[in-house]
Amino acid sequence: MSELPPLIAARGLVKRYGATLAVNALDLNVARGELFGLIGPDGAGKSSVMKAIAGVLTFDGGELAVFGQSLVSDAACEAAKARLGLMPQGLGQNLYADLSVEENLDFFARLRLVPPDVAAARKDKLLEMTRLARFRQRPMKNLSGGMKQKLGLVCTLIHAPELVILDEPTTGVDPVSRRDFWAILAELLAEEQMTALVSTAYMDEASRFHRVALMHAGQALAVGRPSELLAHAPGCMVTVHTEAQWPALAALRPQFAQLGALGNALQVYADGGDEAQALAAVDACLRPVLAADSYQLEAGEPELEDVFIAMLRQRGERLPDSQALTAAAPARASGGEPVIEARALTRDFAEFRAVDAVSFQVQPGEIFGLLGANGAGKTTVIKMLTGILPPSSGVGRVAGVDMRGAGRAIKERIGYMSQAFSLYLDLTVSENIRLYAGIYGLNRARTQARLDWIVDMAGLHGFEDALAASLPMGLRQRLALGCALVHQPQVLFLDEPTSGVDPLGRRQFWDILFTLARRDGVALLVTTHAMSEAEHCDHLALMFAGRLVADASPAAMKRELTAQRGPLWDIRCADPTAALARLRAAGVAASAYGNRLHLFAREDELNARVRPLLGADARCQLRPVSMEDVFVERVTALEAEKPV
Amino acid sequence: MNRHRILAVASKEWREILRDRLFFALAFIVPAFLMLLFGYGLSLDVNHLPLGVLDYDRSASSRAYIERFSASQYFTFKGYLCDERQAGELLSNNQLRAVIIIPPRFGELVQSGQPAQTQTLLDGTFPSRALIAKGYVTAINAAASLDNLARHAGQLGATPDEARRALQPVRLEVRYLYNQSISSIWGLAPKLIMFILIASPPFLTALGVVREKERGSIFNLYASNTSRGEFLLGKLAPYVAISTLNILILWALAVWLYGVPFKGDPLFFLLASVVYVLCTTGIGLLVSVLVRTQMAAMIVTLIVTLVPAILYSGFIIPIPSLKPVAYVVAHLMPAVYYTRIAVGCFLKGVGLTALWPELLILAGYACALFALGYRLFTKRPSA
Amino acid sequence: MNRDDLALWALRLRVMLGKELRQLLRDRVLLAFIVYAFSVDIFLAASGVSLQLNRAATLVQDFDHSTASRELSSRFVSPYFRVDGQISHDSEAQARLDDGRAMLALTIPPGFQADLQRGQPTAVQLQVDATNSVLGFLASSYASLITSRFGLEQAASALGASGAALPVIDNQVRVWFNPNQLDSWFMGITELLNIVTVFSILLPAAAMVREKERGTVEQLLVSPLSPFQIVFPKVLAMTLVIVLGSALALFGVLQLGFAVPVRGSAVLFLLLTALYVFTTAGLGLAAATLARNLAQVGMLSILILAPMIFLSGAWTPPEAMPAWLRALTYLSPMHYYIDAAFGVLLKGQGALELWRSLLGMTLIGVTVFVWGLRRVRMG
Repeated sequence: MSELPPLIAARGLVKRYGATLAVNALDLNVARGELFGLIGPDGAGKSSVMKAIAGVLTFDGGELAVFGQSLVSDAACEAAKARLGLMPQGLGQNLYADLSVEENLDFFARLRLVPPDVAAARKDKLLEMTRLARFRQRPMKNLSGGMKQKLGLVCTLIHAPELVILDEPTTGVDPVSRRDFWAILAELLAEEQMTALVSTAYMDEASRFHRVALMHAGQALAVGRPSELLAHAPGCMVTVHTEAQWPALAALRPQFAQLGALGNALQVYADGGDEAQALAAVDACLRPVLAADSYQLEAGEPELEDVFIAMLRQRGERLPDSQALTAAAPARASGGEPVIEARALTRDFAEFRAVDAVSFQVQPGEIFGLLGANGAGKTTVIKMLTGILPPSSGVGRVAGVDMRGAGRAIKERIGYMSQAFSLYLDLTVSENIRLYAGIYGLNRARTQARLDWIVDMAGLHGFEDALAASLPMGLRQRLALGCALVHQPQVLFLDEPTSGVDPLGRRQFWDILFTLARRDGVALLVTTHAMSEAEHCDHLALMFAGRLVADASPAAMKRELTAQRGPLWDIRCADPTAALARLRAAGVAASAYGNRLHLFAREDELNARVRPLLGADARCQLRPVSMEDVFVERVTALEAEKPV
Repeated sequence: MNRHRILAVASKEWREILRDRLFFALAFIVPAFLMLLFGYGLSLDVNHLPLGVLDYDRSASSRAYIERFSASQYFTFKGYLCDERQAGELLSNNQLRAVIIIPPRFGELVQSGQPAQTQTLLDGTFPSRALIAKGYVTAINAAASLDNLARHAGQLGATPDEARRALQPVRLEVRYLYNQSISSIWGLAPKLIMFILIASPPFLTALGVVREKERGSIFNLYASNTSRGEFLLGKLAPYVAISTLNILILWALAVWLYGVPFKGDPLFFLLASVVYVLCTTGIGLLVSVLVRTQMAAMIVTLIVTLVPAILYSGFIIPIPSLKPVAYVVAHLMPAVYYTRIAVGCFLKGVGLTALWPELLILAGYACALFALGYRLFTKRPSA
Repeated sequence: MNRDDLALWALRLRVMLGKELRQLLRDRVLLAFIVYAFSVDIFLAASGVSLQLNRAATLVQDFDHSTASRELSSRFVSPYFRVDGQISHDSEAQARLDDGRAMLALTIPPGFQADLQRGQPTAVQLQVDATNSVLGFLASSYASLITSRFGLEQAASALGASGAALPVIDNQVRVWFNPNQLDSWFMGITELLNIVTVFSILLPAAAMVREKERGTVEQLLVSPLSPFQIVFPKVLAMTLVIVLGSALALFGVLQLGFAVPVRGSAVLFLLLTALYVFTTAGLGLAAATLARNLAQVGMLSILILAPMIFLSGAWTPPEAMPAWLRALTYLSPMHYYIDAAFGVLLKGQGALELWRSLLGMTLIGVTVFVWGLRRVRMG
């Protein structure tokens, strides 16, 4: 590919918003036919780069050429626009809520002057492929998040552009729809020889791309094939299995900057590629505090996310020390009673039952994860439990009190953080904190104490007088958490607390949650789309179409899945696309993962049915089941039973 | 310019407006509602002023004098008062707008052919109302005085009629042009159309365009090869169409409901009205290009259209009554010119021959607004 | 409620009020608009308008060319009239009236002087452009005053008697509260009241919709604040700002620039304004809860504002309204506010004399506010 002139070429690209430098002398080449990924946290400059390439944003310095044409003027941009398609960031943002699926598509086709007969054929094909054909007449606003994104993709592709630019198309989309989205995109790209520039905040999506650029602070930290990127910061991941998480964490902290809790385990990132060395180093820290038989160590390959964090760390980015948390107030007494209890909670909106007889319990000190596709009813459950929305029937009890008639007193014991980190953006950090301190009736001394604690906890030193609007997303999110914690609640509700936050911020955030639960005995109810986060939870509940369809610990869920379907196999073979087609034709459910295939099968089944279809060169390896696998399998099975 | 692209944008916009039922309904309800409300409710006629009488004389003459006031449609007699203090009180709390004071010996003086005096107290809170009331009082008093003179002349030998003719040798024959009955609604209806067509289209347009900006779907157009002109034409067409429909509705209400005569050329009026709607839509466009949020769009539109439309358009306050600065401000707004056209078409029956300069100014105004909007609108913003 | 509860209540009120005020002060565009409205806009309204007949352009078509005809036409002078030239053809008069260059045309017939001298009644014609009915009326009223006085003088001189001895009835008109009928007083005060109305509907509505859009309202609903504790500080903050603006307009613009008298108590006026803002804010809050988006809020607020302003009694005298409409004005808080505001400023009324307005405003205010509050709780 490299001998062809690049389709997109950026040299020293600079973009400023006032005093803020969004893109800082970025160099980037994208070749024709490539599926190129821009990966990085919110505020890394991904959107600005993409908009500049699409010719919908001016830039302040450097050179930028698309289709070999330098984008020096508005006119030059206009010339390129006929050959590209842009899907801006935000769920369904480029679509028209009140128009139906068909009307949305027709608008894009007419706008792009696609001849009616060509448009009709293409429309049929794309709708079929995305399984939206059944919903032609449905208004866009009534589609689920995943369907919206698929429709957005179809609309962007209606005029068969040579280059598509997709800005975070999978953010805020559940894992099933996300996999679906990638499959469709890969298929279309292969078929139509398109080039695609796609951004994402999910590190685990890196393997979907041919090449990726890891973006941070307006620059590309590393560019290359996904497999090459791991080499930029060699390291390995040591997993510590132990019941005594808290002392283990305390012992490891001075030595390892990059570590986190994952369910009943701790994960420690050790620099340097040597596994034996890493194991020894971790063991050296733990031996003085833990009995030798109380923990087990296991070394493995790090994920891209770990590497990314390591890169940032090595570049001298400051990682706030969550040890400051130990200075906080001592743990509260926690009884055996559940602090959150849903009993047959039901909520109807007009014709539509959003939540259907949902029951579960959360104990003090427990991290309870509520999973589900977009529109499964997670947010509605939280709203009922926090008393924002009255249930149509059923009971929600928090700290033993029915939320329906909940007195103000109970509200003083709960904290809530909504999807949007709803802070007052026009107030400063300390003004936001003081506001909530006042609302919860804290006196002057306690307000000051909590203010100091939150600033410490969230790493907001030096930002006390900054407007919340000026903070990067990760800090905003931790400030929002701080505000929700200002009154030291016993129960904390978190509705998608990490969407749009970079991996680094996400880790620190979970560190804090972990401390709150384990040390302070706070009960946490969390919803999330990031399946890597679901692994952090003690207990998970899966929602589907308003109902609770599974309720167990992550490990139990994984066990249940392997018991039902057999273990997970990771398959490498010469021509994965063809192999996948053969498997599907034979009725074997497999999914493409980059250039590998994943499928569930018992060993005998694998040998009997799968291997013959793969060819001789295929290598099948066992792979640990992830929560994402569980989620996708469960939801796909449920969708097959009862289409939404 | 590609017709298909304009149509694509226009039909999408139209569908969206249609689906937001409350908004769509309000787009027609607000103008019609304003027309009905002001048509029935806004009256500049000063009638039925509550009148109190402080009669120190209590004679037949004083009663006859009062009778002249209370019999007219201008005043409504509310009762006799005891003293001046009470008069002041009732004037203060708006129970009375006028008080006539008749001094002692009024009847005696009148009967004996001597000059007599009376006094009227008016509430001056609303100056124009006070002025008109003053006019009524002067006219009624003059008639009373003349009759009295005539009666005395009669005592000297002439018939009262002869005497009246002798005393009032010059009669003023007033012909009210354009609005013979001086009923307010005739004068008001054309101006109401002017007012409503400047209040509603910019609001609709600005909110419509900024809504697309705020939601982010505007990037579809930024990223496509649709030209700015195509986009703006397509985007604004539905709003102009709604407003054009509103012109017809308002015209029909004025003519059929209020019975305002329409003397001019309907085609010319429609043409001029559409040009005017283009102007006001252009204001909305300009606002929407300049601001980012719907809230700002609302506030800015309110300042730049509604306030001048009330104060400086000739709606309530006649243009000749404006002082120099305001006069200049008024002539910078399109409303003044359309007021002349609307009033001309409805009441004066004049057409293109008399009103072409106004039409030309409006057309120029519309062109300038669109050109400015076109120039400021960019498909490649810097933030 | 014991002392601790009271202290908590006060603390919550204080922090919420502080938040609202800070947010308002940080919104520069809005702030600029508020300052503009309470200063420049009111100044323009007060200074720009004169509703009196002011040197109306008058054409004279004199067919007589006599001393008497010249004497009569020379009386059409300032302040009400100004003779704008002699014309000789009807068509010319018609044309100049049509295009609005003249407002009046006075026609004096041939033989005017001769008729007068013979004691023969005669008539002059006045064509009045009555497209503005108020001015049309004033013009004809002043013109008839001029002609009748001219006629009387002619008659008196013919009879050889002096006007003074005739048994005329003289009616002295005294205009109270605004003796010189200064439009600047009326326009300035009215515009101030309009602005207060616009803001007391728009500001709370905008603040509420903004909290909804940002999602911060959920954060407040989850907290132990009652809906009243959420809404009240908002309205209180807006009230403070509007009252401050009114004080600026009253002392800085109206008193200083136009010598508008404050015959009653300025403090009472500001208190009245505060009460009014409170009552009207409920309407804005209700609109905010009804609408799904800001575009709808915008259209709804026009629907509320326009009738309130125009039917307040400032432009249309309530006496001239049909009975059903007059009944409706009693439901508009602005109706009471206008009466009370003019009462305090121009008429020097005190709180006791204003009990009607105060009671009306309070009743409407409490009703609407409670309703708006219930909508917040449900929404």
